[in-house]
Amino acid sequence: MSRLEAKKPSLCKSEPLTSERVRDTLSVLKGIVTSCYGPSGRLKQLHNGLGGCVSTTSHSSALLANLSVTHPILKILTTSVQNHVSCFSDCGLFTAILCCNLIEKVQRTGLIPTTVIKLNKHLLSLCTSYLKTEACGCRIPVDFSSTQILLCLVRSILTSKPACMLTRKEIDHISTLILTAFLLTIPENAEDHIVLGKSIIVPLKGQRVIDSTVLPGILIEMSEVQLMKILPIKKSDSLKVALFCASLSGDLSDTGEGTVVIGYGVSLENAVLDQLLNLGRQLVSDHVDLVMCQKVIHPSLKQFLSMHRIIAIDRVGVALMEPLSTVTGTQPIGSLGSISPSSYGSVKDLCTAKFGFKHFFHLIPNETTVCSLLLCNRNDTAWDELKLTCETALHVLQLTIKEPLVLLGGGCTETHLAAYIRHKTFNEPESLPKDDGYTQTELQLITEAFCSALESIAGSLEHDGGEILTDMKYGHVWSVQADSPSVVNWPDFLSRCGCGLCNSQEELNWSFLRSTQHPFAPQTCLPHGAVGSANNLTLDCFTAKLSGLQVAVETANLILDLSYVIEDKN
Amino acid sequence: VVMACRAMNKRKHVGLQQLSSFAEAGRTFLGPLKSSKFVIDEECHESVLISSAVRLLENLDLSSAVGQLLSEAVQAQNKMYRTGSSTLLFLAGAWSRAAEECLHLGVPVSLIVSVMSEGLISCIEEVSSLQVPVHRASDHTDDTQMFSGLGSRSVSLHSFLPIPPDTGLIQKENDLGDVASPSVTISSVPGRPVKSANLCRTQAKVEADENTQTPQTLRNRLCADTRCRKPALIHSRHFNRVDENQWTSKPDGFLEHQGAATPHTYRCKDLAELEAGLSHGDRSSMELVDAAARLQCQNADVQRGRCAAPWTFDISGVFTCCLPGLPETLSCVCPGYVTVVSTSRTALIEELQNQLLRVALIEGDLTENYRHLGFNRSANVTTVLESVKVHQASSEELWTDQVLQVLVKFNVNLVLVQGSVSEHVTEKCMHSKRLVIGSVNGSVMQAFALASGAQQVAYITQVTEACVGSGVCVAFWRSMPSGVNTVNSMAITLKTEGMNLVTVVLTGPVTAQMQTKEDRFWTCAYRLHYALKEQKVFLGGGAVEFLCLSHLQSLVRQPLNKGIQVCSGGLHNTSSWLASSLALYRPTVLKCLASGWHKYLSALMYNTARSASEFEASAFIQHHLQSATDSGSPSSYILNEYSKLNSGIFNSGISNKVEQIPRVYDVVTPKTEAWRRALDLVLLVLQTDSEIITGLGHTQLKPQEAEDFLFL
Repeated sequence: MSRLEAKKPSLCKSEPLTSERVRDTLSVLKGIVTSCYGPSGRLKQLHNGLGGCVSTTSHSSALLANLSVTHPILKILTTSVQNHVSCFSDCGLFTAILCCNLIEKVQRTGLIPTTVIKLNKHLLSLCTSYLKTEACGCRIPVDFSSTQILLCLVRSILTSKPACMLTRKEIDHISTLILTAFLLTIPENAEDHIVLGKSIIVPLKGQRVIDSTVLPGILIEMSEVQLMKILPIKKSDSLKVALFCASLSGDLSDTGEGTVVIGYGVSLENAVLDQLLNLGRQLVSDHVDLVMCQKVIHPSLKQFLSMHRIIAIDRVGVALMEPLSTVTGTQPIGSLGSISPSSYGSVKDLCTAKFGFKHFFHLIPNETTVCSLLLCNRNDTAWDELKLTCETALHVLQLTIKEPLVLLGGGCTETHLAAYIRHKTFNEPESLPKDDGYTQTELQLITEAFCSALESIAGSLEHDGGEILTDMKYGHVWSVQADSPSVVNWPDFLSRCGCGLCNSQEELNWSFLRSTQHPFAPQTCLPHGAVGSANNLTLDCFTAKLSGLQVAVETANLILDLSYVIEDKN
Repeated sequence: VVMACRAMNKRKHVGLQQLSSFAEAGRTFLGPLKSSKFVIDEECHESVLISSAVRLLENLDLSSAVGQLLSEAVQAQNKMYRTGSSTLLFLAGAWSRAAEECLHLGVPVSLIVSVMSEGLISCIEEVSSLQVPVHRASDHTDDTQMFSGLGSRSVSLHSFLPIPPDTGLIQKENDLGDVASPSVTISSVPGRPVKSANLCRTQAKVEADENTQTPQTLRNRLCADTRCRKPALIHSRHFNRVDENQWTSKPDGFLEHQGAATPHTYRCKDLAELEAGLSHGDRSSMELVDAAARLQCQNADVQRGRCAAPWTFDISGVFTCCLPGLPETLSCVCPGYVTVVSTSRTALIEELQNQLLRVALIEGDLTENYRHLGFNRSANVTTVLESVKVHQASSEELWTDQVLQVLVKFNVNLVLVQGSVSEHVTEKCMHSKRLVIGSVNGSVMQAFALASGAQQVAYITQVTEACVGSGVCVAFWRSMPSGVNTVNSMAITLKTEGMNLVTVVLTGPVTAQMQTKEDRFWTCAYRLHYALKEQKVFLGGGAVEFLCLSHLQSLVRQPLNKGIQVCSGGLHNTSSWLASSLALYRPTVLKCLASGWHKYLSALMYNTARSASEFEASAFIQHHLQSATDSGSPSSYILNEYSKLNSGIFNSGISNKVEQIPRVYDVVTPKTEAWRRALDLVLLVLQTDSEIITGLGHTQLKPQEAEDFLFL
């Protein structure tokens, strides 16, 4: 007998942003992301409180994946940041902080959402179009003939994650490795469009970071027993390869529901094994030298193959399948039936290698655009963080090759942009498109909110109680110890700006970032061509930051626009 | 699901406090004299006897995040190096207190992080001046002369009836030594004092060498020293020199010996001296390691006919077998594989022991239902009997018969199985005079595969003629099966010509101590392995730590000039205001870091009972620190005053004569890695400002706790 239960009515809340609870949770979230930001950001210990593994991180993707948020507004925020991170890897914290800041600052103006949204969009397009123009004062074109800028970019990413626990020397070492790994993924014969290869990160925990290395080709971990069973490899130009994605373990394929009844004396296992051995015979007659399988190969089949001097490598894992198939030119074989000759591929050479306590097969393909980055770090949590950071760096390099530009880091881009927008709305209102949707006052109010949201990101880099200044020429960030006397000779206290491009010896005017800013037209700090000599710059990925800016403003607009939250309580 | 977020730093840093209180528990494990601890489970009244940091953390309930990170770090160090875990634990505690002190003094977190890591890196660079290169002596005659005493042992090990090495050694030495005083024996190995059997027995509890013995035995040893050992030292190259000459540190990092007509670079060429120095008082374990290394080298050099001292030590070819309940003197090193089998097989082994056996190696279990890894069984297949004529034997019996058929066909009389073995098969095989041994370690299987020519297979049905190895001998461990009977089991040895496997049999009357014994053996084994692999060791006994302390003090006094500030500041973010205020806070942080070394050294002295209180120890260190500074070159001071410093820490000034105090050595990378890991852990915790607990409901929190949490 079924029982009917009356449905509960849906719960409808109006103006969710005005609720005290929403504001509180939003400020907790903002506190978490803000405190993680930058090279001196604070770390978070993530664990389940029941003895599960502990990860120490300040990485947005690790953080957001583990935050289980309940409120729909927070969910919108975290989801859009996660989406951004999954596409661009970098600038996740930037996006989250900017979004939180914007919501907070804009709400204080007390303007109606429609106006706010319209103005936000307007200011955003002002930013993006400025960033995309040649005249933009906070971007640097990347010169691929030298590694300097690229190394700075990678180094900036590595230093921004203190949980990797790297020393200066180790940062240099890893930066070089990442850049090498990236360069190895670029095909030598570039045609119309380049298809980049892949860098595979191979874990080697417990070793010293300095022991990390990059190898062209693919490393497949194996046990020592397997190593012993490998016969001396035939010397020839190349090895013929078959790659299986189907399991060759000899188990029955899914028999579905119900019972299979078999007669006495019939062994299904033997039947499957016979089929496997037939497959083996075909491989032998096709003169295959190397068989690789994503899953398990039946020991008897392995024995059979080894008797015929075929090397069998099993349990390769799903992650390696795609790169293996690419470098060997094989079609992964999915059935135990006959194999079409077109499925086979080849590799140049195969050897074995030992790193730390681990043994590896080292597959050297004919044309290498795949490489293995053997990554070491002392403890698990630092290794995990380092892996995430290296992945980010590799991705950022890929984005940079597509759009060969970098932005100034260390907060300088944010303050420079803020200065630019302020200048545009206050000093050159006539250059802006006229719209009757808002008044000049409203425009100025929102501009102030928008700019201070941007500027407080630069301020978020400071975690030890210092003060942030900005100069009135370039609009860069400068940091100074707290409670420094207000009337001082600033150059004595300051050394370099946040990105490292300007130094304090120049005649500049400074003001506290928290004080009221006077609009001025920010200039570009780059004496073009001299960039090459500056070797210790902090840089950010152009594409990722631009997207982060857009995502943050659009998400903030979406959240500001919410007037009802309707929850289905059933 | 609710996410809770707890801020860690309200007024005090909870994480650092947790870290230092965990570390406090491991304080007594520092140094060569480790006092054991009982860890008692109040609920099930079980207790474990432990005497190392690793085992301590294993047995503690460390459910807090910081505790887990600590335990993870200690496990990682142990897995890799098997030594340095207690150092790691202690320093993690000392430096977390140091970091807390810095926080109290108002030093910004980022500066603590950068200055501390810069300080440690600088220390690690500095102590390279105390590295002693380990090189094989060029003159081989010297070697053979030195190890003549041990040669006899190696020979005895080659037979099937190994005499326990202790007795073998002692017999030999008694012939050489003073027969009139049987309680005191000397070693034929120069500079390497060997305990007599008597001393060994009287203090079976404390496995200590002469450096750490109780006062009474110390007097005995001194008597032995004055009477017997002096002449033996003539053979030692470096002890002869040390008296008249001065050591100075060369800029290339290695030590140079000055004063002699031609300057010699100081090297540790004497394996025995190296082993004694690395044993850290655990002489009995190191003797086993020595025997294992020699045996391994002998195996490798078997075709060359002559065995020199081993200058590599491959730990992967060493295996331990624990036999609790037997007297300690039976511990020994055997070639091949020693394992424990049931006494019911005595007759079988007697039968097989004079044959060369044919062996099959099975990777999986030897049971009917075993399937290789990755094989998924279909649950819904049933077999029906179509005819009643089929005989009624169970499938288990049929399978057993099949196994036996294979064994008969290929004439296999020894089966080594990595997994478990079905009772039925063992039984049947015994009747047909075949020995089946289960639960064999993977590396042992490989050693047999290599030496006997067998190939490992997953199923018995895979066995072909090519898979069967030959030439394996089986014998009782110590000739008579009755001799080693524990309850119902006995030890047997399996070996084959040219097998590169050495089993260290560890025996002891107290079962609770077996784990400790095994751990200590491996610690010594890894130390020797790394020392030979890296070809260098540190001058130990606190010398490196003392130099670190002294070096940090000199860094404190050193003014920072503008140039160094940027490059050596350790700050990643040089444009921050922190870079310019580095000079202000640097001395404070370095002092705090140095206080960690100071605590380490005084705890070491206190633990070895060389000072009555930590205060006394502290005063001693302070005194020498001042002298080191006054001397102008702390590393030279340490080298020249090594004996005094060493005696302060280990020997309490029993003698000022250099030659009577053997050097203590430490392994290089394991030690510096332990420091790095300890500091990394502290800095990781220091930089953490909140804990995020995932999946915790409101209801699970106690109301008073809930105040500390923020919810999303």
